[in-house]
Amino acid sequence: MAEVLQSISNSIDPYILQIFVNIGIAIILALGLNLITGVTGQLDLGHAAYMSVGAFTAAIITINLNLPFSINLLIAGTIAALVGLAIGFPILRLTGDYFAIATLGFAEILKVVFLNLDITNRALGLSVPPANTTIPMPFYVWMITILVIVGVTFIQNSRFGRALKAIREDEIAAETMGINSTRYKNQAFAIGCFLAGIGGGLYAHFIAYINPSDFAFMKSIDILNMVVLGGLGSIPGAIVGASVLTVAPEFLRFMSEYRMLVYGALLVFLMVFRPNGLLGGVDFRKMVLRIFFGKKEKKPNVTIKAR
Amino acid sequence: MNLKRFGALTVVILLIVSLMAGCGGGTQETGKDTTGETEGAETVKIGFLGALTGDVAMYGQPTLEGMKMAVEEINAAGGIDGKMLEIVEDDNRGDKQEGAAITQKLISRDKVVAIVGDPTTGITKVAAPIANRNQVVLISAGSTGSGVVELGEYIFRDTLLDSVAIPALIDYFTGELGYKKVAVITSQNNDYSVGMTEVFKKAIEGKDIEIVADEKVNDGDKDFSGQITNIKSKNPDVIFYSGYYTEGALIMKEARKQGLDVNMFGGDGLYSPTLIELGGDAVEGSMVYVGFSPEQPTPETAAFIENFKAKYDDKTPGLFEAQGYDAVMILAEAMKRAGSTDPKVFRDEVANTKDFKGVSGTITFQENQEPIKSPVYLLEVKDGKYTLKKKVPVTVE
Repeated sequence: MAEVLQSISNSIDPYILQIFVNIGIAIILALGLNLITGVTGQLDLGHAAYMSVGAFTAAIITINLNLPFSINLLIAGTIAALVGLAIGFPILRLTGDYFAIATLGFAEILKVVFLNLDITNRALGLSVPPANTTIPMPFYVWMITILVIVGVTFIQNSRFGRALKAIREDEIAAETMGINSTRYKNQAFAIGCFLAGIGGGLYAHFIAYINPSDFAFMKSIDILNMVVLGGLGSIPGAIVGASVLTVAPEFLRFMSEYRMLVYGALLVFLMVFRPNGLLGGVDFRKMVLRIFFGKKEKKPNVTIKAR
Repeated sequence: MNLKRFGALTVVILLIVSLMAGCGGGTQETGKDTTGETEGAETVKIGFLGALTGDVAMYGQPTLEGMKMAVEEINAAGGIDGKMLEIVEDDNRGDKQEGAAITQKLISRDKVVAIVGDPTTGITKVAAPIANRNQVVLISAGSTGSGVVELGEYIFRDTLLDSVAIPALIDYFTGELGYKKVAVITSQNNDYSVGMTEVFKKAIEGKDIEIVADEKVNDGDKDFSGQITNIKSKNPDVIFYSGYYTEGALIMKEARKQGLDVNMFGGDGLYSPTLIELGGDAVEGSMVYVGFSPEQPTPETAAFIENFKAKYDDKTPGLFEAQGYDAVMILAEAMKRAGSTDPKVFRDEVANTKDFKGVSGTITFQENQEPIKSPVYLLEVKDGKYTLKKKVPVTVE
């Protein structure tokens, strides 16, 4: 099995493979944040911090214990989730901007902690040895990405997911309907952080060198960018957003120095004409049904237009 | 509403189209072959890895300029056994993920035999495992941090290491300058600074100098009054600051304000005209050590400076230009000696580089691939200019 995958991955252009891995990791991170910010409506400006927890945990485990990679990732995700819970428990009582600022603050604290711990080699960062797995990294990343996509789709369409959406739309109304909003918000936050931890673990092993400064504010904004661009609360949106924003800098490479200018212009352009994001407000299931079975929507479209 | 929307759409599309048209001219040049022959199997490709835009473009740009000059000179002299050298350049914005993607692209798409870069330690550490896995020689022209060449047998660098420079200078400090007590300041969110302080502490073990204060600052700090107050009470002979020039200038300003009349010294992180612009009189007497100085040049360096000025509108080359130039020259020499442009073959000759008379000093690769560079230049700020204070030769142990 592993040999077959290895030979397949050898026959593909490694450059393309590399970009695909970057996309896969970005999707995992974006879906985690989507659950917190898109579905539950809690603006999180420190997602990269939970990613760093996962990245450093996974790196340290590989360096010191060399456990099988799957177990390693699971531990990395769990620890990121626990850290997320410890942070989320007090600050999820805050709402709106106050919550956003608090996440920002905690992200900075985590970064400074990593900058001062000996186990993370302080500002020098860690060189990460190859992961303990026979499956080639690109396949590994994409297996997990698909697993995560299936998982969050399941979560979002469950009773739990509907409760989260209710909290996003109106927290007080949701509480009146018997939804324990604090508990649900904490759970959503922990799952989001878990995914960030997994993404961080994959990132650490793929990039092979991590440094606390990699997970600064700008990284959080990058992930938030993917979610907002794709459409808040939409899983296909987060996937498309993550893919587009990861590929864009590589795709625009032919215009050399001007590429980040065009990249910025693209973002402005998209936000002007698709303020809900690329796939925001698009019901994917209905669209698929309509395309393949010609079914018409029974209900009128209730999506709120931005203008 | 529709009309308004249409209007806005047109404007944006026009903007993008004009942008693309505007840079159309440059498109053919960059991202592709910039020098030498464009087609044919008779070219040898060298990849450039570094930032041409973004925060660290100030290291990437000059490195590339130096490389281009080296390639031109080699090609003018007939190339490598008749084969022309060619640089493949790509911008990584100082981003690790992009750095990894580009390294992969250079190796698998452009089929480079060697990569020069990245000037920063972080991205070098990302690129090194990829280059080593694919058996392509990588020479970092700029990384000074620890744990770089350990990443594989194909990884080299041609920079002056702190672990080479500091021990060479310590005797001069304790002897001629008579420093006995030193106050160490480290920028703890800067990997370069943290690494250099470690080297410094190790270098002074057993020497006649002691650390009386060990202060921490952060890159981006503006107020250093607390640290300086503490240092002042310890009465040091000199301040050692391992970080960058911006904070270095502000530290010295604060020291002078508090009446602490000692000088500061540090590595090439402090070597920038900005240090003097920001610090003014306060940095007068401050010392930095570098591996390249336009003063008292060797014949090779003098020729390099002259040619560089002729090529780039009278611009004086700096450390990174010289290191980029040397990296290409080391590769070319190794290929000539090995009589092959296959990295698996000429890798050994790169490792055998000994007493290479580069424009940034004499370079020898040790057994463990780490370079020894000689001499070390100690510069002092005098009358608002960097002037040579001492040229210290480094001997291979």
